[in-house]
Amino acid sequence: MLNIIFGETDKAIYNTSVHFDNTYYDSWLDDKFARQMILSVDRATVLSNHAVDSKALGIIPVTKISGGLKTLLLIYNNPDMIFNASTCGDNCAKWILRIAKKSEKDITINLRHIMDFGDKSFEIRIKNNDTIVHNMAELVQYAGYFIGEKYEG
Amino acid sequence: MKGSHEIIIQNRRLRYKITVNRNITILRGNSATGKTTLIEMVDEYSKDGPESGIQLRCDKRCVVLSRGNWERDLQDYHDSIVFIDEGNGFVKSIAFAESVKQSDNYFVIATRDSLFNLPYSIDEIYGIKNTSGNRYQGTKRIYSELYRIYNPDAFQGKPDKIIVEDSNSAYEFWRAICAKEGIVCETAKGKSNLFGLVQKSEENRILAIADGAAFGPEMERAMSLKNVKNVVYFLPESFEWLILRSGLVESAELGEILAHPADFIESKKYISWERFFTALLIEHTRAERLSIHKKEQAKSLPLPVI
Repeated sequence: MLNIIFGETDKAIYNTSVHFDNTYYDSWLDDKFARQMILSVDRATVLSNHAVDSKALGIIPVTKISGGLKTLLLIYNNPDMIFNASTCGDNCAKWILRIAKKSEKDITINLRHIMDFGDKSFEIRIKNNDTIVHNMAELVQYAGYFIGEKYEG
Repeated sequence: MKGSHEIIIQNRRLRYKITVNRNITILRGNSATGKTTLIEMVDEYSKDGPESGIQLRCDKRCVVLSRGNWERDLQDYHDSIVFIDEGNGFVKSIAFAESVKQSDNYFVIATRDSLFNLPYSIDEIYGIKNTSGNRYQGTKRIYSELYRIYNPDAFQGKPDKIIVEDSNSAYEFWRAICAKEGIVCETAKGKSNLFGLVQKSEENRILAIADGAAFGPEMERAMSLKNVKNVVYFLPESFEWLILRSGLVESAELGEILAHPADFIESKKYISWERFFTALLIEHTRAERLSIHKKEQAKSLPLPVI
């Protein structure tokens, strides 16, 4: 299941881009699911585990992929860690849900904004009040109160 | 700093054209639209100039501020456009908000965090979109521009309830109109309470009114309520701006100021445009019969019909 901590928290890695640049493994790019995310978000094709061919930027090293994609790859490959997913745009939301569904472990992310998870139903636990929500209408009722606060749990 | 400033920055592959209109501009939107790339290009040009291979055209100096010694670095920047990329957590701090208030710079900040310490406008929250692309010396150059994330939203018909951010003159004004029209009117007593009050309201059709000049940090959660409520927002610059636009105050210069406020508002003096319009209204009504302030404003105004 996907867990979300809304608001500021010391438990999450805030600058995910720097963290990715210094911790990713080449093997992360060999994964089929990761390649689908890279194509979907950055419109880029993996050439090798050192380079991708981006529609906008041409052939670039892995450290030049978008900040949102770096965060997705961190979440996917480090299910025990918590990352600031407000570095992800709404075009990453479906991938966060898919990562959580695919993972054998519960995934926890930190959001400092209200991400739009779309019109379809989902199952997300809001850690701030330990409540499970099933759609955006339920999610925003709680999220709006928590995004400006600090999570102390 | 005053005025609107156009920035055109390009290399062989990318070209960005953006215009900043006031002291705080927020960049957000989808991932992979080029926010970080734009800021990296500004950074490279600010360090190496034309030798970087980047062309930058702007009538102001453009620089990039990063975490680390941001407070010291900011002291060196004056009359400049300061870009800050995602991942710089200091933008949420009170210390940064205080620095912005005392600064003669404009700031362009890439973040999805709501910066509750800064009073930025709903009109200055942008995403980046690719407008076109063409082949240029063997590479495809992509042209990118900004688009406003929050567009005007029309309200059809009569609301069941009006919620006003303000508790003073604006509330008095709207309450008088609501009484005449048979509409429930309530004050939120501050913009941060608006989210909760709209959500708890039992009425079906809600019109929420707040000062757009400083409502930027609240805008995302306010708009998210559309998932729950039939709510529409009326967000003029400020109540004082509405009065100035109403024609009640006559002045030869007023038309020019209201048509091009950016050219008249010094960012170092006015952290938010609403403060400028308040000062302008007081100045223009000081010696008049309309000399008005706070709650007295509302009693002097004719009531429009909804």
